[in-house]
Amino acid sequence: MRNLAEKWAVVPDWQTAAIEVPGLAIRSLAGLSQYLVSGDLDAWSKVSGAPAKGVGAFGKAEGERYAAQVARDRMLVVSAAPLGIEPGWHEEGFGVTVVSAGLQAFEAEGSETAELIARATTLDPSAGSASAALSFAGANAVVYRHGDKLRIHVDRGLATYLWTWMETAARNIAAAAKG
Amino acid sequence: MQLFTCPFCGPRDETEFHFGGEAGNLRPDGADVTADRWASYLYMRDNPKGATREIWVHMNCGEFFVMERDTVNHKVETSIALDSAEHA
Repeated sequence: MRNLAEKWAVVPDWQTAAIEVPGLAIRSLAGLSQYLVSGDLDAWSKVSGAPAKGVGAFGKAEGERYAAQVARDRMLVVSAAPLGIEPGWHEEGFGVTVVSAGLQAFEAEGSETAELIARATTLDPSAGSASAALSFAGANAVVYRHGDKLRIHVDRGLATYLWTWMETAARNIAAAAKG
Repeated sequence: MQLFTCPFCGPRDETEFHFGGEAGNLRPDGADVTADRWASYLYMRDNPKGATREIWVHMNCGEFFVMERDTVNHKVETSIALDSAEHA
């Protein structure tokens, strides 16, 4: 029987994985609590005390707890610590789904981050868009800024693909910078 | 590359969208629907030359909407969220 495992890239050790070229550093973020909140986001805001709207594509999030808008009635809530809210349907009109294990988060920083964005998506990072969900290197991802860094959340099953894509892009960016 | 406008997200790359069929092609309801009506619903498309109204979905945010566009020059006239569009 053929060993199909060799066709697949080895999943990096996310604790230590890093991409570093001049002007660009990318690493995996561990330990983030992630929740999809769907439905009546105003009701979610009343219950949680958090804003009813998350940041859009390349919007600037700050702090240890924030939200990125995914759709008209859905947002990705990200927190450094677990939220004290029950997953499942809430009678106020919204549902909470824990997706901490479902989404892999990456963080990119450095002067060449704009070059990485330019290679990953056709979306103008200065134009703004209501939803942070966009095609990033061909994968559906949630992309925004956190402080002066770029954060990318992608389905865990696509994380290895996106990592290898970013490794290649980083090499090409470094080569282009050398001239 | 062409830009389509999602009613929620705004202009996005056409590759983020998926065609959902002709607007107004409603599924027949009831047990006494004729074979001709089913055939019309399933197989018969207008395929107009020029202005057309279609259902599209923005795959990233999941927004379904009606797009009015021109099949000759590919110009997009409007994008309207499905819950506020007259698509029937």
